[in-house]
Amino acid sequence: MRNSNRLRFTKAGRAKYISHLDLMRTFQRAFLRAGIEITHTEGFNPHAFVSIPLPLSVGFSSQCEVLEFELRRGAELSEVPGRMNAVLPEGITVQKCYEAVKPVKALTYVNYIVTLEYENGAPFGAETAIRDLLSRESLVVLKKSKKAKSGQVEVDLIPLIAKFTVEGRRDTIALDLIIRAQNPGLNPELIVSAIREHCPEASPDYVAFHRKDVLDAQFQPWE
Amino acid sequence: MNRSLERILPRVQKPARYTGGEYNAVVKDRRKVEVRYALCFPDTYEIGMSNLGVRILYGVMNNLPWCWCERVFAPWGDMEEEMRAEGLPLYGLESGDSIADFDLIGFSLGYEMAYTNVLNMLDLAGLPVRAEERHELSPIIVAGGTCAFNPEPLAPFVDIFSLGEGEDVSVELLELYRKAKGEGWEKEEFLQAAAQIPGLYVPSLYDISYHEDGTVAAITPRDGAPEVVTKRIVQDFNKSYFPVKTIVPSTEITQDKVTLEVFRGCIRGCRFCQAGYAYRPVRSRDPELLVKYGIEACKDSGYQEMTLSSLSTSDYRHLLKLCDGLLEWCEPEKVSLALPSLRADNFSMNLMHRLQHGKKSGLTFAPEAGTQRLRDAINKNVTEEEILQSCRTAFSGGWSSVKLYFMLGLPTETDEDVLGIADLAEKVYQAWRETTPEPRRGVRITVSTSFFVPKPHTAFQWEGQISMEEYQRRVKLLRDNMRGRSISYNWHDPDTSVLEAVFARGDRRVADVIEEAWRNGAKFDSWSEYFDFQRWQDAFASCGLSMDFYAARRRDKDEILPWDMISTGVRKAFLWREREQCYQNKITPDCRKQCTGCGADKLYPGGECDAE
Ligand code: SF4
Repeated sequence: MRNSNRLRFTKAGRAKYISHLDLMRTFQRAFLRAGIEITHTEGFNPHAFVSIPLPLSVGFSSQCEVLEFELRRGAELSEVPGRMNAVLPEGITVQKCYEAVKPVKALTYVNYIVTLEYENGAPFGAETAIRDLLSRESLVVLKKSKKAKSGQVEVDLIPLIAKFTVEGRRDTIALDLIIRAQNPGLNPELIVSAIREHCPEASPDYVAFHRKDVLDAQFQPWE
Repeated sequence: MNRSLERILPRVQKPARYTGGEYNAVVKDRRKVEVRYALCFPDTYEIGMSNLGVRILYGVMNNLPWCWCERVFAPWGDMEEEMRAEGLPLYGLESGDSIADFDLIGFSLGYEMAYTNVLNMLDLAGLPVRAEERHELSPIIVAGGTCAFNPEPLAPFVDIFSLGEGEDVSVELLELYRKAKGEGWEKEEFLQAAAQIPGLYVPSLYDISYHEDGTVAAITPRDGAPEVVTKRIVQDFNKSYFPVKTIVPSTEITQDKVTLEVFRGCIRGCRFCQAGYAYRPVRSRDPELLVKYGIEACKDSGYQEMTLSSLSTSDYRHLLKLCDGLLEWCEPEKVSLALPSLRADNFSMNLMHRLQHGKKSGLTFAPEAGTQRLRDAINKNVTEEEILQSCRTAFSGGWSSVKLYFMLGLPTETDEDVLGIADLAEKVYQAWRETTPEPRRGVRITVSTSFFVPKPHTAFQWEGQISMEEYQRRVKLLRDNMRGRSISYNWHDPDTSVLEAVFARGDRRVADVIEEAWRNGAKFDSWSEYFDFQRWQDAFASCGLSMDFYAARRRDKDEILPWDMISTGVRKAFLWREREQCYQNKITPDCRKQCTGCGADKLYPGGECDAE
């Protein structure tokens, strides 16, 4: 089955904690509530067929989530955002609905804003330490893996980070990262663990992760 | 969202339970409401959100423009730990505000093993657990639900118990509170006035004295409180609130579907069943109305599953009409319809056949007892032939798994009755062999036994529970006689059933034990992850009370029972007569065949029990 329509939506506030699976269920029900008919799966328990190409970790916010579906009847593409927003839970907002332009495999990079928060102010030198760390030739960390015997595999983060900037403020350090989306992708949590491990003095008290954009191989918005 | 909550959530399991913000959650302006109510369910979000009563009361209270009702569930251990470490008090899911500042906090009590969670939630809110240590008009602690029919084990913690169906009396209580708040009443003044509202029991207005042997000597009301508080019912079930527009959780819950409540009460009168007596008389909804509610609720929620709910769905007079009406809409919309608690009769089986569309999920029967003699004694009016005939119908239709539920330790049970369970399972197996079109697929017959718990307001409220050792002997007897690879046998662990028996018929002194066990870490006692029987044994020992006195002791006819100030509308003399009928193995006809004068019709002036 192929889906040719896409929704771009925001996931923020209380909705950040909805898991990937629950989010798909939420959308399936929301389509029904909105009276918008989309393609269904076959079988005993037919349900609306939707997919989300890049699952977002629980607790992350995002302004660029994409859901794929196939509109059958009940609405024009342009009406979909308004109809859906009336029936979605707090924190999920559909920005636009469009015909897919590029295939999922063209989705190459994700732009994340990772905000490191420090209760007693950002430590002196932390910003530089982080910048130096991310500028290394290679930065190998251990990552949990179900496939590996030891339960862990080694990953070099550097080749997976395409661009980054580090900007210190009084209580926070903001990392603007453009990292690989898939095959293999990089979870920005690994970057934060690397900071905790290699620059312990720069360890934040709390971290907020935000997805800002999804990009193709030429760093152009992926739609 | 609260900042400390944001910090905690990434560290806990299933954080979506703790955020609120679901579709249809009611958010009001806190400055524009006069009364704030925290509707608490003393278990997890997934279980509490599956409770229809919670959804009804939430809707009823939020329909009052001046009242804002929010939901609160028991945080799981990891969340509790984080909340305590961060100093984040228990909050309402809608606003995130601490419930200690709310006007009323109401608990829904569905099962006894949740009692420690009530204390734990009060403590997490930062409130003293004992009512006498809370002096202000706010918050008032209210409790309702099935367990409130014996309120005594929680009496020292709760200010007001609400008995029976809460739709009307909750509004009356809120109106009184609104007035009290506006006029600046003292808590005591408010409680005395609340005690005058029918259906509300204010335990602090009752003095209980005890005989030397530990039984109750007298129950003495003070300050004009009524001698007996009678439960409330909804008079016109067709007009009563149904939550068409209801919260759709953003995370999966236990009952993730539309629940259509078809009728209240039960015509049957099984002698062990508290719900069967306590929810009398039967009042049903019109099928047309139910069809309309079902369709609207599905459309509004986007649910694709609907289930009918009641104590005994087969007894609904218009079941066929209702199912036809629903299926006409459900089938093209691909919404599935489930009918739980069907009786083992032919009519029901045929109906089920139609609903399942080739999807052959398990079949469930609850004969409760293994012999006809004992089934008669407990007034479970189902015959062996009915069960076997239903099984044959099912097996020949392609079903290949059956679950059979029984109780061990029912009054008058003998070893013959216990062995009768194995016999019946064997006959079900034979029925499968004779009728299945697919003998190679095999069959799964699961027999489960639970440990009988005598409940207040039933014909067995005077009975002793058999000892744990005796229960285990009967389990072993049954296990040794259960043959055949296709039959598997599960039995319920007895520890929690003994405690349930204690709480179900406990008096006010049991409150000390609950508090002691909770202070030693008891919570989520219905979850094996948390339950620790030793902790409870220690708590009884340190309070100088005996479990046997409450669970195992047989009461005399004339004994004052701790819950005698509470009436479900069913007369005590009627229950005693039912008990005597049990000992003579005599059945009592159901309400549809013949009224046997239980007294519940008096709750229903001008109405008729189980009207067409
Ligand atoms: S009054 Fe009669 S018909 Fe009504 S519930 Fe009691 S026994 Fe049944």
